[in-house]
Amino acid sequence: MVKVMKTKNNNGWGVFWAILGMLYFFVPLYGTFDFSLRAKKGVLSFLAYQDVLSSPQFLEHFRYSGIMGIITVVVSVLIFLPTVYWMYLRLPQARPVVEIISILPFIIPAIVYVFGLISTFGRPPLFLTLTPFRTDILITVGYVILSMPYMYRAIDVGMRSMDVRTLTEAAQSLGSNGFQVLFNVILPNMRIAVLSGALICFATVIGELVLGEFLVRPALGPYMVDVGRDQAYQPAAMAIIAWGLTWVCLGLIQIFGRGGTSQELVGR
Amino acid sequence: MAETLLEIKSPKVVDRSHSFDSLRNWVGVLPFFLFILIFLILPSADLFVGAFQDKNGYFTFANVIILLTDPSVIQAYEISLKISVITSIAGGLFGFFVAYAITMGHAPRWMRNILMSFSGLAANFGGVPLAFAFIATLGHTGFISVFLKQICFSNPSGAQTCPFDIYQAGFNLYSLTGLTLAYLYFQFPLMVLTIAPALEGLKREWREASENLGGASWQYWWHVALPILWPSILGSSILLFASAFGAYATAEALTGGFINLVTILIGDEIRGDVLSNPNEGYALALGMIVVMAVCVTVYTILQRQTGRWLKS
Amino acid sequence: MKSQRFGILFSALVMVALVLSACGSAAATQVPAATAAMPAATTASTGCDWSKAKSVADCGGMDALIAAAKAEGQLTTITLAYNWCDYSKMMNDFGDKYGIVIADVNPYGGSKDEITAIEKNKGNKGPQAPDVLDIGPAYGPSGKAAGDLAPYKVSTWDTIQGSKDADGYYYVSYYGVMAFEINTTVVKDVPQTWQDLLKPEYKGQVGLPGDPRSSNEGAQSVYAAAMANGGSLDNVKPGLDFMKQLASSGNLLPLVADPGPIAKGETPVSIHWNYLALADKLSMAGNPSITVVYPSGAPVWGGYYYQAISAYAPHPAAARLWEEYVYSDAGQNTYVDGFCTPARMADMVSRNVIPASSITALPPASMLASAVIPSLDQLSAAKDFIAKNWDSVVGVNVKSGQ
Repeated sequence: MVKVMKTKNNNGWGVFWAILGMLYFFVPLYGTFDFSLRAKKGVLSFLAYQDVLSSPQFLEHFRYSGIMGIITVVVSVLIFLPTVYWMYLRLPQARPVVEIISILPFIIPAIVYVFGLISTFGRPPLFLTLTPFRTDILITVGYVILSMPYMYRAIDVGMRSMDVRTLTEAAQSLGSNGFQVLFNVILPNMRIAVLSGALICFATVIGELVLGEFLVRPALGPYMVDVGRDQAYQPAAMAIIAWGLTWVCLGLIQIFGRGGTSQELVGR
Repeated sequence: MAETLLEIKSPKVVDRSHSFDSLRNWVGVLPFFLFILIFLILPSADLFVGAFQDKNGYFTFANVIILLTDPSVIQAYEISLKISVITSIAGGLFGFFVAYAITMGHAPRWMRNILMSFSGLAANFGGVPLAFAFIATLGHTGFISVFLKQICFSNPSGAQTCPFDIYQAGFNLYSLTGLTLAYLYFQFPLMVLTIAPALEGLKREWREASENLGGASWQYWWHVALPILWPSILGSSILLFASAFGAYATAEALTGGFINLVTILIGDEIRGDVLSNPNEGYALALGMIVVMAVCVTVYTILQRQTGRWLKS
Repeated sequence: MKSQRFGILFSALVMVALVLSACGSAAATQVPAATAAMPAATTASTGCDWSKAKSVADCGGMDALIAAAKAEGQLTTITLAYNWCDYSKMMNDFGDKYGIVIADVNPYGGSKDEITAIEKNKGNKGPQAPDVLDIGPAYGPSGKAAGDLAPYKVSTWDTIQGSKDADGYYYVSYYGVMAFEINTTVVKDVPQTWQDLLKPEYKGQVGLPGDPRSSNEGAQSVYAAAMANGGSLDNVKPGLDFMKQLASSGNLLPLVADPGPIAKGETPVSIHWNYLALADKLSMAGNPSITVVYPSGAPVWGGYYYQAISAYAPHPAAARLWEEYVYSDAGQNTYVDGFCTPARMADMVSRNVIPASSITALPPASMLASAVIPSLDQLSAAKDFIAKNWDSVVGVNVKSGQ
């Protein structure tokens, strides 16, 4: 294999932008963190954190949102991956329509959407709002829709950067059927794309406010808003804790998504 | 594996995308469209129908007319568009460079992992927590503002000057500038996440080939990498644009009473205790959908033109 | 093959997640597990349709009401923020006393949200549909006209003082007055009048309680400013002009003065209903120290809220029991705990049932008696005016840095 010349310039610029990126992420958070330590007058303490964590409900709600996040990721991938694949292979003309559809969730106000879900599906015969399990189905659907822009774009970019048609032809010429092509050839090549889609999809569900609030499900976002807004320090502590926990989950998803294959974020 | 496959040409597969059984081509996307119809369009019907109704349910164009004539509505669209364009460009550029650092830039492994996972977190960050984070950092009492304000020097005349008071210098977090900074917090990670796969897809061989032919780094980028990446960059930019255009909670939390944005206006009409014309709110939202449809159309045309020599 | 394993792992994860979520839902205590039974439960068990009852006597008295409510087992409230008039205590006490699970939807929503929730949840008997409301003055009559409310007169109806619908569709629950909430750890020179707010020393320190274009409290703060600056109940423009002055002098921040920014010191000077300010003072417990100022030199500005029952309440008996509780001495005293002046104040004072220590925390009766409270029409007109003109009069034209 030809050894690629890695010039020093590459290294410098990469590190520079990486540091800048990390600064932008962490500096504003430091402001929140600093404030959250001031719940006790005059001293820095973790009092606000103790308050938050002493309530078992916080972790309950995080667990609920975490599980819903995972389910949403799986359902999203199952819906969008085959669709985008088909579109690349057979139906490029559908692209503009699908593009517009994919960003509709950004534009349609969530409050209109959630009440629409309730009016449409809360009625007979479905009664999807009557039991917690059925409402969970409804909210999962809502989450999938709300994270559609991100998931679709991630899968679209991923699929664009590989030669879908050739891979498919090759696999088919070796005897695979459509299903096998999708799961044994396409998906492994899409690891990074699906992973980045999954990351943001999961984070979307964890932080989602409107669906959880109005469908009355124990999601983390509404809990944090509802319990915290008339307090000063606890919301800041809750935010830090929630981000920390979410970040750990995202890290786990990353590890899980990467593990077992040779496909990694390899520097080139 | 991919490199060797490029040489195989298989006569067995028929290119169906333009064949006469094009109706069958739509079968594969049918589940998706059904899903969207049932679970997105149907529940949002209020929006599409209510935009053309008045309070009593009768058909009317009045709401749409307000859209086109009310100066405060027009201003709201202008400001929304302005901040969407600015943040999608700035966020796109910054995100591109950070994604570069993650994928190709040889930043240390730990930095790459942190950036990638944190991008997932930050891309969906918004609302009150984000606003508060910026208030606690750059507000009047934010730790950076306070820190800078306290850097003082003694004049020859004995007086103290503290030249780094950003608010004295004219900075104001509670303005479009501040809002832009806050939006960037979720814009650039969004770009990172969506463009990283594309950067990953740039084959090492292309870089090698370019260098073998004597091309400098910038030539590689200008003639090889960017043209290949361009459709993905455009697509991600549309996403960033839509994300900013539809952002509500952050703007409301940071500048709620002062800045006129379409999303805030919609919120006021549909949810507010004071303004009370939800139908106008629906019309405003429909207007946003139209704007986005125009943008996507432009993007599709641009993409077709620039991506024409790519197989997809 | 690796990807097959991947696929299997994914499916296994889905199974596990589904199972966990089902278990998790059962264990979630915060949300009432809605009974799968269809809506006819109430009438079946008591034989009397509580959704048609206009008073407790209509269906057999208090005991029957309690029994029916317990049978329903749940109550859905809406927009009851936890430290608003100590509603968290109200809900907890009610839940403990009768064993009824309460779900509170959208605690920080406004009155319009409540009406919207009723209308959008009309066919829905799940926990998303509100049973009882706490709404601003304008929404009483408009809700009644839209058919969203159900009439009911609590047993203590006659001792409720103030605005109440003759047919019992809505009834005043508590009063408050507009006050300044000052973070005295940051601000040493406490403003005493509305004019004081314009002083240069408060540059970048003043926050409103909400966006006046959409928030009731926000709009009323502008209305109160109007009264203090030469306006009247029919002329709210001076209020807008005052806010414009406040904004262009750089004193007014476009930031809503929530407890976070107040404690941070970002909006150490803010305008709020007195009960919210007093509740903040209590909860912050000196960190930072809060002073509540009733602005002098201007008419005291008063406001009130209505209680009402939804016409589509999934739990009509529980809804009525809630109202009985709210208007009982215990309920009204809970309002006092939350620094809200209860509607039955005069009656309770005359019977000496309010603890003396609690009364002192409330503004003096004379202040409330002299408070200016707009009529419904005036309030609606003023809110309209504020919403339409806020952007053009006050709205900062958005160049960066301004």
